[in-house]
Amino acid sequence: MTLTRPVVVGAGVDRVDGPLKVAGAAAYSSDITLPGMVHVALVRSTIAAGRITRLDTGAAEQLPGVLAVLSHHNAPRLAAGPTNNLGPTPPPPLQDDRIRHHGQYLAAVVAEKPYQAAAAARAVTVEYERTEPVLRIEDPAGELRTDPFGMDATRGDAAGALAAAEVVHEATYVTAENTNNPLGLFATVAQWSGGRLTVHDATQWTSNTCQTLAQMFEVPESAVRVYAKYVGGAFGSGLRVWPHVVLAVLAARTVGRPVKLVLSRPEMFTGIGHRPNTVQQLRIGAARDGGFVAIEHEALQTVAMDDENLEPVAASSASAYACPNVATRDRQRRLNIPCPGSMRAPGEAQANFALESAIDELSYLLDMDPLDLRLRNYAQVQPQFGLPWSSKALRECYQVGAERFGWSRRDRRIGAMRDGRWLVGYGMAGVSYLWWQVHCEARATIGSDGTGYVRSAATDIGTGTYTVMRQLSAELLGLELDQVRFDLGDSNLPWSPQAGGSGLTGALGNAVHAACRELIRTFLRTVVNDSASPLRGCTIDDVAVSGGRIHHRADGKLGESFVAILARHGLDELTADGVSDPPDPQEVGMAPAGAFAAKFVEVHVDPDLGLLRVPRIVSVVDGGRILNEKLARSQIIGATVGGVGQAILEETVTDPRTGRIANANLGDYLVAVNADIGEIDVTFVGEPDQLTPLGTKGVGEVGLPGTAAAVANAVYHATGKRIRSLPITIDDLLG
Amino acid sequence: MRAFEYVRADDIGAAVALVSGDPAAQYLAGGTTQVDLMLKDGILEPERVVDITRLPLRGITADDRTLRVGALTTMEELAADPTVAERLPFARTALLAGASTQLRNMATIGGNLLQRTRCRYFRDPGVPDCNKRTPSSGCAAITGAGARMHAILGAGETCIALHASDLCVPLVALDTVVRVRGTDGERRIPLTEFYLLPGDRPDLETVLRHGDLVTAIEIPLPPAAIRSGYLKVRDRASYEFALVSVAAALTVEDGTITEARLGLGGVGTIPWRARAAEQVLTGAPATVETYRAAAEAELRAPFTVPGTAFKPELARRTIVRALEELGGDRT
Repeated sequence: MTLTRPVVVGAGVDRVDGPLKVAGAAAYSSDITLPGMVHVALVRSTIAAGRITRLDTGAAEQLPGVLAVLSHHNAPRLAAGPTNNLGPTPPPPLQDDRIRHHGQYLAAVVAEKPYQAAAAARAVTVEYERTEPVLRIEDPAGELRTDPFGMDATRGDAAGALAAAEVVHEATYVTAENTNNPLGLFATVAQWSGGRLTVHDATQWTSNTCQTLAQMFEVPESAVRVYAKYVGGAFGSGLRVWPHVVLAVLAARTVGRPVKLVLSRPEMFTGIGHRPNTVQQLRIGAARDGGFVAIEHEALQTVAMDDENLEPVAASSASAYACPNVATRDRQRRLNIPCPGSMRAPGEAQANFALESAIDELSYLLDMDPLDLRLRNYAQVQPQFGLPWSSKALRECYQVGAERFGWSRRDRRIGAMRDGRWLVGYGMAGVSYLWWQVHCEARATIGSDGTGYVRSAATDIGTGTYTVMRQLSAELLGLELDQVRFDLGDSNLPWSPQAGGSGLTGALGNAVHAACRELIRTFLRTVVNDSASPLRGCTIDDVAVSGGRIHHRADGKLGESFVAILARHGLDELTADGVSDPPDPQEVGMAPAGAFAAKFVEVHVDPDLGLLRVPRIVSVVDGGRILNEKLARSQIIGATVGGVGQAILEETVTDPRTGRIANANLGDYLVAVNADIGEIDVTFVGEPDQLTPLGTKGVGEVGLPGTAAAVANAVYHATGKRIRSLPITIDDLLG
Repeated sequence: MRAFEYVRADDIGAAVALVSGDPAAQYLAGGTTQVDLMLKDGILEPERVVDITRLPLRGITADDRTLRVGALTTMEELAADPTVAERLPFARTALLAGASTQLRNMATIGGNLLQRTRCRYFRDPGVPDCNKRTPSSGCAAITGAGARMHAILGAGETCIALHASDLCVPLVALDTVVRVRGTDGERRIPLTEFYLLPGDRPDLETVLRHGDLVTAIEIPLPPAAIRSGYLKVRDRASYEFALVSVAAALTVEDGTITEARLGLGGVGTIPWRARAAEQVLTGAPATVETYRAAAEAELRAPFTVPGTAFKPELARRTIVRALEELGGDRT
């Protein structure tokens, strides 16, 4: 059986959950209401380091509606959560009197009504013994962790090659802390019933939340069910089981009633991760003809006390360009800050700014067009493995992008292009996104009415998983879209990895592919000796599916419907499971490729007032096989907007004395609004990836990196000012 | 949030009596700032809230010389008024540069005058040192980070909190008058005398006494020959308070500035009337050199912290740009 009918897949099918969301009928975790449900409000630390000397809940407990106040005085000791492929679970809350960061949860108030819980939370008084917090990334008082991910890469002799290089560019680049800020406030609804736990959560990974809560509360995984039917955005902040989730579960157990905990916007800044700020040193050595001879990339980022965060920054530079001598080094400084975590394109968003800015700078030293310099150093094979890529159309990204953007109209002289008062700059950047794929499971069923039901524990965080998996299932089972249901967001369904790392569509798509194929095989086995079946004795390679039927590949008339097979054999349904696992590169003789992209950006700068506008961005993406071009395009548009935010607006500001986040609301933390966004042009190029049957590559993140570097490079082209620190704001550009 | 009593006032006199007689009472109009400060931030904790939204204080009337705007008129209503569009275009620009359509449909003109500062330190009750909230407790903002949004004019060691209104910038330049009803009747207060500099008491923000109710503003209509503009400079293209804004109105006759009105936003602890700049401008030739001298005169002694160090220069340039767009350069 082959995918011979690219009718449903690839098409710009509208989101199947769109009408529900537009009508307000999609129940996010904050919309879940259970009989007898009570509410939790949180008390947070107002210092960044030290210990609690007194925590008085007496007044709070006397307030109307209050059922319980949990603190380190009365909270039970919880087991540590598991370590998974993203690292350990964040430390469980309320376990001791230590303050690790400003905003740390110190108490949880449970009350009948949300406003009663909020009022009581304010009535909890806390006294502290303060110690000096470590808050700055440069502060040597903070523990320095070297090679925290075991991913530091060495190829050849970078230091030696740099010393001998004809041209060397060396500079330090800084990226600000950013906060994910999904629109949907994170919420957890938890209910215990006879030793069984049910949780509705804003998570990107129900399977992990289930395993983690089971381990922390020492109950079997089979006694825990986690739902995340709809998630109001996450951008990585829903990848871990954060302390508020644990507190909701603990509160529900304490009061013996279902509870709801909805984070406030300020709490969203301290409780669910953020993109860590970085300081990065780049050294690139090149020959006069532009060939790279060495790349050294050292990146320092922040990490919280008692926590880890998988955020390889420098590591991604090892495989971006053909270069014989490479050294990458990642380090983390441990600070009294809220736990960093993944935020759309973790690591790469920061690294790409540094690397692609540095290459732009080098292009001026070499007097080369920055696009030509990238093509000159194009990595035809994966430079770390020395293997051919499973797919790579970055060259096409550059070529198509240059054409669509009009790169040839760029006057290479600095400040030479103008639009009235505005200086005009063109900049570009390349993106080589890391590959990520993990084990995934799915299950497929066809019932006696001939409809399909395919499911997995995966989540749809607004990206379109419901839609593309229904499309894929319909195609693989030969059914129409409205004949298939795809279900997800339930940990009782087959195990799924996180909706993260741009890896879910690939992992889940291939698991769905496997499950659907296995289901067709199951049908064929059912009729293998059935003399009444025109499919008797057929193997999967002999058949195709369409119109609710299995039929001979060579003769479409020779076949029968799923309904007929089930009826004749007295079956209500047939079900099959499928799994997908990432291939071993050495075994397949290919280097697994992530997505690639080229970004071309036009900026306008008012040099007198420092105003910076980004009227035009062209993105060309090699995402392998695109399952739904409309949704994939939306992913690139959204990520590009996030990239503009990183480039010119977003900065989480930490007060240097207290460690308090000073702009923890959407009025003061600036995300891009419509008026900041001009024309966004998105094109997909490339071929299906050779590594998997479906040929997809994830496109959830590749649209973000490259934006900031291309903006900074365009700003230089317009003004001659090289801004090596994000975000680029008015004060950077005042002439 | 603390529990409070909600009362709807039947008439103006009753409203004034209700609030004047109770130190823990506050008026409630559009609520776009106040409800945040009460319910979300816990900064305001009134025991009684007197809803004035049903009082007959909404509406706009104009004669040849004055536009009278009821205090409960919304920002959107004022922006849509034909007299404003024709005679006060820079006030219209300022209105539409502020907040969002949703907020402008709720927010009232009286409330805009009395909006509280956006200072991130004032608005977080977890910050103990705020002279505006708790007199003599200190100012966390001065040593704090992210100080871009703070004031540089009228500011000092006690307080650098900004008055963030856009609308008040043209209003203060136009010599707008505030009509106030207190227990002893009605008063008319020029907007230029309405606000108090922080000085030793940043907690005292206006000359109003507790219970005084803003009923209307009266905007003198400038001569038809005057040209006006509002220029707002900010990082985000929309929905952000100004880093610097300039409301300017100029009459130029034969290359000479005969009348100049200038207000500054994004820089003052109060809506800033740039009188020093106006003095330089009035009677001077309409040249960039004059504009620069005016900007220099106004920004002679700014109070800056590291985060606002760039703002004096940005303010000078924004003033020059705004004036140049209106008056041209007759050099």
